Amino acid sequence: MQFFIQLSLDGLTIGSVYALVALGYTLIYGVLKLLNFAHGDVFMVGSFIGYGVLQALGGASDPVVPVWLLLVLVTLAAMVGCAVLGVVIERFAYRPLRNAPRIAPLISALGVSFFLSNSMQLEFGAQQFNYASYNLSGGALYFHGFDLDHVHIPLLRIITIGSAFALMVVLWFLVNRTRTGKAMRATSFDREAAAMLGIDIDRVIVFTFILGSALAGAAGVMFALRVPTFAAVGFTTGLKGFTAAVIGGIGSIPGAMVGGILLGCAESYTAGYWTTAWSDLVVFSILIAFMIFRPQGLFGRVDIRKV
Amino acid sequence: MKKAIVVAFAVIAASIVATAAHGGPKVAVASQSVSCSSTLKIAMVTPITGAAGFLGTEQLSWAKYAVSTLAPKMGLKVQLLQGDTPVEQGAAPALTLAQKFAADSKVVGIIGPSTSGDAEASAQTYYHAGIAQISPSATDTPLTYAVNGKKLGTPTFFRDVPANNVEGPTIAAYITNTLKAKNVVVFDFQEPYSQGLAATISSYLTAHGVNVTRLSAPNTTTDYSSYVTKVPSNTNVVVFPTQQPPAAQTFAEQLVEQGKSAVVFGGDGADAPAQFKYPGGYVANFAPDISGIASDAGIVAGWKKANPTMTLGSFGPPTYGAVQIMLNAIKIACAKDKGTLKSRADVFHNVKKVTIKNWILGGTFKWSTKTNDPLNGHFYIFKIQSNGSYKLVN
Repeated sequence: MQFFIQLSLDGLTIGSVYALVALGYTLIYGVLKLLNFAHGDVFMVGSFIGYGVLQALGGASDPVVPVWLLLVLVTLAAMVGCAVLGVVIERFAYRPLRNAPRIAPLISALGVSFFLSNSMQLEFGAQQFNYASYNLSGGALYFHGFDLDHVHIPLLRIITIGSAFALMVVLWFLVNRTRTGKAMRATSFDREAAAMLGIDIDRVIVFTFILGSALAGAAGVMFALRVPTFAAVGFTTGLKGFTAAVIGGIGSIPGAMVGGILLGCAESYTAGYWTTAWSDLVVFSILIAFMIFRPQGLFGRVDIRKV
Repeated sequence: MKKAIVVAFAVIAASIVATAAHGGPKVAVASQSVSCSSTLKIAMVTPITGAAGFLGTEQLSWAKYAVSTLAPKMGLKVQLLQGDTPVEQGAAPALTLAQKFAADSKVVGIIGPSTSGDAEASAQTYYHAGIAQISPSATDTPLTYAVNGKKLGTPTFFRDVPANNVEGPTIAAYITNTLKAKNVVVFDFQEPYSQGLAATISSYLTAHGVNVTRLSAPNTTTDYSSYVTKVPSNTNVVVFPTQQPPAAQTFAEQLVEQGKSAVVFGGDGADAPAQFKYPGGYVANFAPDISGIASDAGIVAGWKKANPTMTLGSFGPPTYGAVQIMLNAIKIACAKDKGTLKSRADVFHNVKKVTIKNWILGGTFKWSTKTNDPLNGHFYIFKIQSNGSYKLVN
């Protein structure tokens, strides 16, 4: 039982990060019908911004502000930085191609992805950067927490999972309970009809990029608080976020959340109960299986078009 | 939507295939004669950027120092070229560099490649061009020994450090005899260096009655939580032969996070005091701390003067030695060819004729008569102290 709880905790932790990344994919796909393959690299940039701010505030060993404030500032900086980056990407890489064939923005997205990862590598090198969160308050984030059936649940994991769920709830509220959210849903349903009803489509799209990219920034920090980050980290994590979005049903916000958690748990259970060597194989096999047998995902709807 | 996803995967697959095709071996150009009074070139092939950049930067500084101090004394004019092979990009950069250096007839020797995967991937290209390679850190056994009837290196590949078949038993013997471990987890990272080392260590430990659990992680793994979960709680030692020292640090921290007290034991790839500094851990390396070798005092002082911001590590001194061997081989070849190298293969044919008294790693350097390895090579074990520094323990 302890083994199962520990694996579930592992899956939930990494799954929360995947879910936040998947939400970005799903938001942008929902509004623009664009698979934003640069999203994983926005996540990577977020983790680097967080690292930079952490160092500027004295680093993990000797921060100049209290730890809780440090974590809030690092996360906020990454979210704001990524939101700005998302706006820039939309303005220069996607907006000029909005009426082009769908393959054009897709290729542009891949180009932005390589541009971002290679630029970061050029600027900072390809080495790994460690937040060294183990040193925060003498290891408090690792040693504090609570025990569940003799499984220690450290504070850092509680923060990671709790923050991810809090952000998901905020997002759900934004999309379902605000006028801007209503405009996003209308644009997602029928962009032309929404425009005819007076909705500023450009503004909605920019807002969507701000939301999705800010979530990626937060995910980047949550990820890098636990493991080292590096310029190429966005590719694999982005692909897994995309897989989570497909599993949940791309375009569906609850689907992205559930897809991320399921994917994280699948990865963890595969490593725990079967093999550590082939957990990625299992993850991407799940993607293929969904593409073949349930392309609309768990929560997506089948598009029915009249001819 | 489905169409768009299919197209996206097609584009990704096409780019991967294109990258792979680009990295394929090509036939090198034939070598021309080169005047020994002209400026000859040797190239250092090592990861200067990337997670293993700490290693390459150190090696490069020692290679530059060796060329600048030794070549003039031998009457040689030598230019040191550099090639960057970030470990994250696999063997493709090493192959591209091999083709580039093979095409330059003035390149008469290679120092490196530094990692086993790069050395294995590029060995054939250098061999066909007749260029000698001396690696100061590629330790995978099949580069110089036939393992299961298969040898991955070529006659032009040499190394001045011992192979995993020395490192593995050294680590394993320390684990059994000194740490008295009964339960050990051995990782590999699905690349040649760690797979070879893990296999050697596992077989030794198993033969000595130690209970071994093998775990294998893709080289791209960043979060080791679920791997840590699989480490049995009675494990005494985890052998973690990564080439990315921050990963060893993260792994050690995640063990503590789950309340596990196993000691993390890295190989030479994890030997980076600034990045893997978890107290109580161990690393193995092929070089001792040369600041304790009296005959090296002048060399160390000169290198420190040339590199005031750098710290003396374990990867640099064997690089100095590799350059020293290469320059001696060039000198012998030039003398035999009366001032004009008929081909750069002449350098290769003279590498094994080099012996060096007052070897930088101590004693006298001689080649093994059976393989292109040093005679009586030795590995050293360091323990990480509470302040993160490394202390030689074996």
